[in-house]
Amino acid sequence: MPTDDPVPGRIDPPTAPLGPPASTTAPAGTPGPSPDLPPAPSSVPPAAAPVGPAPRAARPRRAVALLTVALVVAVVAAGALVGRMLVTTHAWERSSADWEQLARTHGADLATAQEQLATAQAQLTDAQTQLATAQARITELADEKAQLGDTTAAQSQLADYQARVSEAAGNVATALAHCITGQQNLIGYLEDSDQYDPADLARYKADVTTVCGAATDANAALQRELSK
Amino acid sequence: MTSSALVRGAATAVATLGLVGLAGCGALPELPPPVPTSVVPTDAPAPAPTSSGNLSPDGFDAAQRMAVRIRNIGCGSVSTGSGFAIDDHTLVTNRHVVADSATLQLSTYDGRDVAATAASTAGLADLAIVRTADALPSAPELADTDLATGDAVTVVGYPLGHALTVTTGHVLAPTTDPLNENLGQVYLTDAPVEFGSSGSAVLDAEGRVVGVVYAKDEQNRSFVVPVSTLRAMLDDDSAFTPAPTCS
Repeated sequence: MPTDDPVPGRIDPPTAPLGPPASTTAPAGTPGPSPDLPPAPSSVPPAAAPVGPAPRAARPRRAVALLTVALVVAVVAAGALVGRMLVTTHAWERSSADWEQLARTHGADLATAQEQLATAQAQLTDAQTQLATAQARITELADEKAQLGDTTAAQSQLADYQARVSEAAGNVATALAHCITGQQNLIGYLEDSDQYDPADLARYKADVTTVCGAATDANAALQRELSK
Repeated sequence: MTSSALVRGAATAVATLGLVGLAGCGALPELPPPVPTSVVPTDAPAPAPTSSGNLSPDGFDAAQRMAVRIRNIGCGSVSTGSGFAIDDHTLVTNRHVVADSATLQLSTYDGRDVAATAASTAGLADLAIVRTADALPSAPELADTDLATGDAVTVVGYPLGHALTVTTGHVLAPTTDPLNENLGQVYLTDAPVEFGSSGSAVLDAEGRVVGVVYAKDEQNRSFVVPVSTLRAMLDDDSAFTPAPTCS
């Protein structure tokens, strides 16, 4: 920094002896000596000056200018950086708000979905219960139908059996009635046998025997049916 | 400090400021990407169901849907037995279930009547097949191997001619047929059966048919025709002959 340099442009002749200054007047164009520093040499041999005084004074000015530019650049850059930071911060704030809104929307959707799921699960449980009940009822109805079918089949067979027995019994009754009638007629004919041809009586007797034999056969059939 | 050092310092300061500025710019986060309108995935993975449930059309499982109740109306007698479908129009039961019948009446697990068109019985095993005019609801898969001692079994049938019943048990041991109706060995299980369970399908843990119930003993143990015998009979066209009738 310029202020750190105790004597800008000071020339220290390496061979000049130290001693009290001969004059306090500084050379023109050079800054005055600092009170804390030793006095400038009273005279400078021209042959000992390697560089003229004008180039020596330009460097500090360049440095100051450069530093000034650097400061300006730094301030501008800092301003740009701050601006960028503000823009970025605002963008992230908006993004954060949007994400929060999206999260809240999805949270609301999730809550709705969970509610619907709970409702659906309750309905599913009810449906499963109803299905189990329906299945049990279907099985019961199928069994009842099967039992009715079994009963119907058994009753049908019983009815067939009873019909056969009744038919056999009817055949027996009819045959017996014919037998009895024939026998009664035969008895009457035999009581007045003189009035009939013996051959006719014998044939009638044979017929009565046949009819009574049919009654016996019918009775045997009845007994067979009864024995089933 | 010399003027050149001052210039170098200034240059260094400028460079440092530049670097700090660049670093600051680099350290700044990028602008956020646009917020999507939804983050719900379109191809969200479907959760695996914890239970397969009953996926049949009416909720009855396959074991029940394949069961068939058989009513044998003979000449002066009515008896019932069980059977199971092996394809759309064929069911398997026991020979003694369909023997000496005047009419065979079939009904499914849901009480639907199915008309029987023909019945055939095996000569070397207590097995019979019945052809149906109507399609049967479901047919199971026949297992490839026979049972082993200790295997879990499920019996599906109509004990005593009553409602469709599912009972379970285990294979006790292979044994010889006490009724001498089956060629080869049969299996003894502790799955409870009753009269009317004859012809019931015996299923393994995977629901495949591993045998056919044909008898029980006084200890309420059931005898099972193994699936190998059933397969052998089904593969032999001459194994079945028309079932004897009473008429």
